[in-house]
Amino acid sequence: MIHIFDGAIGTMLQSAGLKPGACPELINIEQPEIIQAVHRAYVEAGAMILETNTFGASALKLAHYGLADRMAEINTAGVAAAKKAAQGKAKVAGSMGPTGRFIQPLGDLDFEEAYQTYYAQAKALAAAGADYIIIETSIDLQEMRAALLAAKAAASIPVICQLSYSEDNRTVTGTDPQTAAITLDALGADIIGVNCSLGPEQLVPIVKILADNTDKPISVQPNAGMPKFINGQTVFPMTPKDFARWTPALIEAGASYIGGCCGTTPKHIQAIAKAAQNCSEPPRKQSVPQLKLTSRSQTVAIDAALPTVWIGERINPTGRKKLAAEIKAGSLLSVKKEAIDQIKAGAALLDVNMGIAGINQAQAMKRAVTEIAQITAAPLVIDTSDAAALEAGLRAYPGRALINSVSAEPERLKTFLPLARKYGAAILCLPITAEGVPDTAEKRVDAVRSILEAAKNYGLKAGDFLLDGLVMTVAADEKACRETLRTLQLYRQEFGYPTTMGLSNISYGLPNRPLINSTFFAMCLAAGLDAPIINPYDEMMKNTLAAGAALLGKDPNGRSYSRMESNLKVPKQAAVAKPAAMDTLAAIKAAVIDGEKERIENLVSQAIDEGNDTNTITEKALTAAMNEIGIDFGAGRVFLPQVLLSAEAMRTAFLKIKELLPAQETAKLGTVVIATVKGDVHDLGKNIVAALLANSGFALIDLGKDIESSAIVSAALENQADIVGLCALMTTTMTQIDRVVQALKEAGSNAKVMVGGAAVTQEYADNAGADAYAPDGVAAVRLARQLIKKD
Amino acid sequence: MMPIYNAPLLTIDRKETRRYAGLMTAKFDEQAIDAACEEARLLAEPHGIWNVYDYNSKTHMVQNEKPFEIKGSKITAHLNRAEQVIILAATVGETIEKAVTRHFSEGRYAYSVLLDAAATTAVEQIADTIEKAIQPQIGAKGYTMRWRFSPGYGDWGLDAQPEMLRLSDAQSIGISLTESLMLYPRKSITAIIGLVRENHETPIVHLPHDCTACDKTDCISRKK
Repeated sequence: MIHIFDGAIGTMLQSAGLKPGACPELINIEQPEIIQAVHRAYVEAGAMILETNTFGASALKLAHYGLADRMAEINTAGVAAAKKAAQGKAKVAGSMGPTGRFIQPLGDLDFEEAYQTYYAQAKALAAAGADYIIIETSIDLQEMRAALLAAKAAASIPVICQLSYSEDNRTVTGTDPQTAAITLDALGADIIGVNCSLGPEQLVPIVKILADNTDKPISVQPNAGMPKFINGQTVFPMTPKDFARWTPALIEAGASYIGGCCGTTPKHIQAIAKAAQNCSEPPRKQSVPQLKLTSRSQTVAIDAALPTVWIGERINPTGRKKLAAEIKAGSLLSVKKEAIDQIKAGAALLDVNMGIAGINQAQAMKRAVTEIAQITAAPLVIDTSDAAALEAGLRAYPGRALINSVSAEPERLKTFLPLARKYGAAILCLPITAEGVPDTAEKRVDAVRSILEAAKNYGLKAGDFLLDGLVMTVAADEKACRETLRTLQLYRQEFGYPTTMGLSNISYGLPNRPLINSTFFAMCLAAGLDAPIINPYDEMMKNTLAAGAALLGKDPNGRSYSRMESNLKVPKQAAVAKPAAMDTLAAIKAAVIDGEKERIENLVSQAIDEGNDTNTITEKALTAAMNEIGIDFGAGRVFLPQVLLSAEAMRTAFLKIKELLPAQETAKLGTVVIATVKGDVHDLGKNIVAALLANSGFALIDLGKDIESSAIVSAALENQADIVGLCALMTTTMTQIDRVVQALKEAGSNAKVMVGGAAVTQEYADNAGADAYAPDGVAAVRLARQLIKKD
Repeated sequence: MMPIYNAPLLTIDRKETRRYAGLMTAKFDEQAIDAACEEARLLAEPHGIWNVYDYNSKTHMVQNEKPFEIKGSKITAHLNRAEQVIILAATVGETIEKAVTRHFSEGRYAYSVLLDAAATTAVEQIADTIEKAIQPQIGAKGYTMRWRFSPGYGDWGLDAQPEMLRLSDAQSIGISLTESLMLYPRKSITAIIGLVRENHETPIVHLPHDCTACDKTDCISRKK
């Protein structure tokens, strides 16, 4: 059966005389007859489900009108109005809309406050007799999670979850329909759908993706097209006929609950009700249950038929004192760095372990999960033995996480499985029993079977399980490897669920552990390992995986493997150049121009061995290089970062010269005092100029940023500066240049003044009485030389 | 209460980072650019905040208890049909700025410039995501957004900053203003976005949305 929802309420209220700026939900109490009339019109049009006029009736929204304390009353009246109009001919869905704020860390609303708000509203709606709760127009998966968890806790009626997608087919905070369907299905939504933002045509593909990723019924409530502004009014342009034309396509795509959102009227609903009469319920192909995990914006599937998935193990303070100390001190910087680096290295899931003695693990897990989710799209694995930490992590995570791990120990089953069910998490099944680690494959299969049975009793099902093969040390038990391999094979035969395990335990106590690990890894891949938990920086394991995938047919014709191998063979640029063939000074010059500081130290030593003194190396190689770079930069052939690489190479050269010939003082071209002027906190540009000058033979005194003119003057006098360099980035700060020029003159300084910075121009420099204007650092070097020569 | 949106930074645009670093399309160590973008993601503390105000395009007044007059021929032309304006502020915080300075002082000059450029790209991306977050609400009312315009661009003076901070409530996400009207942390922006509706009487003024309105013709990031 196709269920027909109603259409928009807001537009009808406006035409019934609701004043702009008034609280639309207060009408439920003050003029219930208006609401009833709207509902009645929809019943007459053929609506089978009426949505209550309570979209904005959460305490958080009502607070805008000073009505938060009337929340229950307004929701109760909303349900009553709908029921009265329905007269038993239609069901009533209690509507809950967004709070209007983003949940932390995206915004400033605490998850628990959002939860409590929705809980109270859902409770009121259910108590008043609603048949469904409908959470709709949500643009953020995390807000939807808070509302859904609250609605499930507050009431035992079915919950409909509808997100809104933008034109890029993602919600505002980045969730795609597949990820939404998987996450909300697991979290217990009864009907999953989409409403608002787009018209029916654009929603067809979204409905299709939702239907392909959940067995739950799909609902859809499009707008009547995209809004236009005509004659002073916002209008949704689709006629009932145009709108209803999409009904068969929406049903075909998988929707069995259809209604309208903004701009739809009873006529639209009548038209779709009529169009739906000729449609039968959409054929929903039973999806093969696959283990799928999600973050806010991505889905990762683990399955024997799919490429091997890497679970990064590095976010774990066990045995890592520095990391543990940092987390204990409240910093997650290294944790976040590990997250970014592991994904870059190829991890698709990240294990998060906060097992440090003496800290509040629940708090640490919540924070880690929250912050990692802000910078990565990889789904997370909550790795803990502490039930409180597990719940904190699962609750905070805006996706479907994996729990690492659930063993066959009764206490673990009792505490972890209800949490997996409540938060829609998948579980890693670890075959450890109250008696310890089973030594044979058969006993491990038995242990896993008992975990699966218990899990199914809590409502978990196929697609929720990842089985651990359990790795013991081969040095202690020569059968360890073979039992693990047999375990993997038996898992596949007995259960067919995907498998995982940490590998490195196998080689404990043996020499050349990487060789043992990678060999073992290859065997496991052949035996059916789908998602190893590993250190993704381990190149040997990465290579083994690539070769293994080619051998096992997961990389057809070894294409990826071949590509990887050919990339490795690309010769590095440095290897192509032949410095040996060149004169050493010429080679130094070339290395500076190419910005190759790795090569320059040896070249400098070589030049000194050949009897060159400091000044020769500086003039013939370094300065000559800088001159050439300056010309190329001026001509637009090289760019700032390349110039800076050359400066880095020069710096390396000077440091080496100083190290090898400490007695030989490099002749200085002159002394420059440089500063960013008072009021200006930019210093990168000034730093660049200073670095280029210093590496071109000038003695540099860098005073820093935001420097008083008096400090600049005294530094110029004290150091007998030849040049004072002033940097000002903004129109508001460059007036300081005039002041410094004036003060230098008054103090009797003979220093030339060179100025620069984004807002400064030649004209401004001239008017301020500066001796030179440098548009960039390279020009500054050239001009500084000229200023010195003039003396 | 002003809406706050601290968008996740799941990626930083490499191309924009290259542009801000003055690299354009030149060949350069891609690994260094990648590393800078990833470090910027790691260190960024993204925050964004905004508010919507009515706007009188005849008097150039942003409507508020204390009205705010928009001065500047380009910005007022750009807002010529706006009925409302969004005033927003965004920042990536000061940690990243400190890292830029540290890298430079340790001799990693080029990398420091790349990180600085990645941070600039990140702030602009935060502002982009704020626009995306506002879109559904204003789209439902039939509004479309004009591109965002910041003080200091064209002939809109920096003396608008105090009012921009007040009306966006930028202080509550940690942005302040120095005496010389600079935003702190340095990697922060304020901007105004005009909201217009279809109306055939007055045409929308379309200023070119690129670098042409900026007088700094020798800027290393100028789009050609």
